[in-house]
Amino acid sequence: MWVYEKKLLYPVEVSECNPKLAKYIAEQYGGADGELAAALRYMNQRYTVPDKVIGLLNDVATEEFSHLEMLATMIYKLTKDATPQQLEEAGLGAHFVNHGHALFYENAGGVPFTATYIQAKGDPIADLYEDIAAEEKARATYQWIIDISDDPLINDSLKFLRERENVHSQRFREAVEVLKEERDRKKIF
Amino acid sequence: MSAAAEQRAMLKEVQQADFVVVELTLYTNTHSNDEEALEQWRLAIKEAARARKAYEKRYGPLSLLSVPSEQAIEMGWRWNQPPWPWQM
Repeated sequence: MWVYEKKLLYPVEVSECNPKLAKYIAEQYGGADGELAAALRYMNQRYTVPDKVIGLLNDVATEEFSHLEMLATMIYKLTKDATPQQLEEAGLGAHFVNHGHALFYENAGGVPFTATYIQAKGDPIADLYEDIAAEEKARATYQWIIDISDDPLINDSLKFLRERENVHSQRFREAVEVLKEERDRKKIF
Repeated sequence: MSAAAEQRAMLKEVQQADFVVVELTLYTNTHSNDEEALEQWRLAIKEAARARKAYEKRYGPLSLLSVPSEQAIEMGWRWNQPPWPWQM
């Protein structure tokens, strides 16, 4: 089970109301390479991987939920004071008529989240390679959002998240090596 | 410093200390024989507990695994009370 902590993993501050930036950030909220996909993917794969890598998938999944909360905070703060006209000008008119000021699990193009974004193959090496790719795609997406954003406060939080994808990718690569070592050891004995 | 800014600053100390634990936990997951990292990890957990206790004494529990301090109870602390993290 999980226990809620009344704090973010890392602070999120915004300079001003900016619904257009919120729309772009949605790519990492409910998009194919976003944090919801990441959290659900690892949380679900952890049941069928060898004991040596369960902890990593469990703990990275948990961290991804804290990233999801950071992104939600960004989107909320960037849109909460926007008028319907401002939302429409930012390309969020369709979002507004369906969801009002609520958040929704969708990508930057407004496409709703789907479980088809993620995979569980029941093969630890195949799953870990997918996980490494997912982290690299997320890292690249964060870079593109940072490149298009002109909010230095948001960019500070996005850079933190971008770095976390690097670290996760590195840990998953190490997990592959841990499994290969274990496999080779079993062959010897 | 405003009261809200002061709270954010104290919370940031908790966030920093907790982050060290998050990072070292992931590292030791894949480096289970790195004794130096394991020792850093144990120290980081201690430091995070210290930072958390200092914050919670004043502002109340961050999670319901912590016992509310007398100071927080006197201040009328309730779990269901703003600010929530996205409101800070």
